[in-house]
Amino acid sequence: MPNQLTSTMIECPNCKHQEFVGTLYCTECGSRLVHVSPMPTVTISQDRLEDEANTTKPSPPEPELASGAMIGLRVLSSGQILSLVGRENFTLGRAVEGQAVIPDVDLAMHEAYDMGVSRLHAEIRLLEKGIFLADLDSVNGSMVNGRKLEPQSPSPLRHGDILQLGRMRLQLITRRRG
Amino acid sequence: MAGRKNYYSLLGVPRNASTDQLRRAYRQAALRLHPDRNERPGDTEVFLEISQAYETLIDAEARHAYDEELAAEELEQADQSPFTARVLHSRKSLLRLPEPQVHYLLMDIQPKASVGHVRPPVNLSIVIDRSTSMRGQRLDHVRSATQEILKSLQEQDRASVTAFSDRAELIVSPDQASDLSVARARLSLLQADGGTEIFQGLQTGLEQLDLNFTKEGVNHLILLTDGRTYGDEAQCLDLASTVAERGISINGVGIGSDWSDRFLDDLAGRTGGHVLFLDSPRAVTQLLESILDSLSKVIASRLRLDGSLSQFVDLRSAYRLRPEPMVLSDTLPLKLGNLPANEILRLLLEVVIHPIGDQEMLTLAHFDVAGDLLAQGGETHVLPVLVEHTVSDQPDTQPPPQEIVEALSSIALYKMQDMARHEAELGHASHAAQRLENLATQLLANGQRDLAKAALNEAENLARARRFSTEGEKILKYGTRALLLPAHAESADVNDD
Repeated sequence: MPNQLTSTMIECPNCKHQEFVGTLYCTECGSRLVHVSPMPTVTISQDRLEDEANTTKPSPPEPELASGAMIGLRVLSSGQILSLVGRENFTLGRAVEGQAVIPDVDLAMHEAYDMGVSRLHAEIRLLEKGIFLADLDSVNGSMVNGRKLEPQSPSPLRHGDILQLGRMRLQLITRRRG
Repeated sequence: MAGRKNYYSLLGVPRNASTDQLRRAYRQAALRLHPDRNERPGDTEVFLEISQAYETLIDAEARHAYDEELAAEELEQADQSPFTARVLHSRKSLLRLPEPQVHYLLMDIQPKASVGHVRPPVNLSIVIDRSTSMRGQRLDHVRSATQEILKSLQEQDRASVTAFSDRAELIVSPDQASDLSVARARLSLLQADGGTEIFQGLQTGLEQLDLNFTKEGVNHLILLTDGRTYGDEAQCLDLASTVAERGISINGVGIGSDWSDRFLDDLAGRTGGHVLFLDSPRAVTQLLESILDSLSKVIASRLRLDGSLSQFVDLRSAYRLRPEPMVLSDTLPLKLGNLPANEILRLLLEVVIHPIGDQEMLTLAHFDVAGDLLAQGGETHVLPVLVEHTVSDQPDTQPPPQEIVEALSSIALYKMQDMARHEAELGHASHAAQRLENLATQLLANGQRDLAKAALNEAENLARARRFSTEGEKILKYGTRALLLPAHAESADVNDD
């Protein structure tokens, strides 16, 4: 879908939480949003995938890794795909107001809070020998295909694996560039 | 008409939709709901209904016949309905967007002025927890409050008193209740002992209601408890759902801090009732009297908001703001309880609207406001309410109606305590504490000093104990819920046309 209008969310001036157009009170901090710019910020993106991957990182996307691999996470509840680009390590978690360390992949918009995702929940590491997931001492733990991970102990991941952070389920998608 | 889904609202198209619009709406529905996708349970059923709607409306002859039938039915219903409804929108127009948007509807339901009010007979069942923890002051106050209520009953009214611990016992039968000296003697036998099994009490209390069930009156149960019931919650909830269908409503009164607010909210909510929190038993007399007073004003029972939302619209949350603030479920039909005369029943609905196509006017919902009119022996009346709104390419720059802003401001406070409690339960105590500090700031800004102080106390407690205190969670929940009641609601601005 080239040149589709996307990202017409409004942002809470107090806590930067993203809300749908029309929302009058921030669902995160309760601030009134009535006087937030009535014209929603419209950005034009060539690729919705990339755009969503970069909602937490304003840096321009790098379409693929040096190794030629492309990986993404599918949020199972909504079917949305978050692509992981431009880094070797990705922390997964939930950004909140006043937090010093912000996760590389912010799941706050995917109801991470309700799902029991910690602020810094887990980390995906892209290493020579493959892709690994390590739990970062999260409160509700991490699982791969239903198997619970020991905290801080990286576990290998393959295409199609189901990652569970708290109650949030994500599917790893990898694609080798031919 | 009630019970049957309206074809236009199913497809989310206006009544004057072109065949092109119908086709597009059908295609969009197919993309979202087609059985091949099978994303959510129930999608296939909705899709079949939409298919049937489409097939009728796309056929000019069938559509014409359907339109005439529909118009006649709705006109007749609206005309004969004893209710009127008014809907306010948060924005003058919806925005044509390729993404979801949030929209709020404020809905006022009230009896027409032509509907006379006669005090209905009240069939009341008072169910009292007499577990060991009630011993002393609590039971003393409840006993004397019950005695006062029996005194205030009129000749046509019926009442009974049931007490329960591990088992239930009928303390005052309907016959004994009409003789005050007998009732007083019977109540003095009420002693605290044993555990808390709410199902036992509920069942016996409801049996007594059934003995004197009246279609011309209100049938109501008041459950007073100070403890948790274990293992029989599901049975209680099923029972509440069943009796709600017959027009019986339940109020929960929680005394002290050790009762389960979520259970009681669910129980009362299923019948359209509400829950009251008493941190001290002293106010119980006044509270029971106010319940009896509102029961004596009821003109319709089993009020509910039914009908169908357009396929573009999802209900995200619903609140009753008055006469009694309550958090409602997010699926139709919404159980609204009793409709009093000379009062407004006000709802606030938060909906998410999915990407809108190119229509100028979007049908959000065809609601049916239904209720059983007591003066007519409980006959069900339905008021169809069509909710449509214009769609624009330009955002609406006008401020939203003040009533909606005020309601949402209170709802935001209520939601904050709810989220903080949730966070604390997930183990994020510091996070929850921070949210409560935020809440305290907002409460102060709203002039709620006592509640703000309670929020700060609870934030400190969280930092220490890592979880909510059972008392604090109820003070904050019911304190912020009470704020949903619009200011000056007492001097009801009921219009008379």
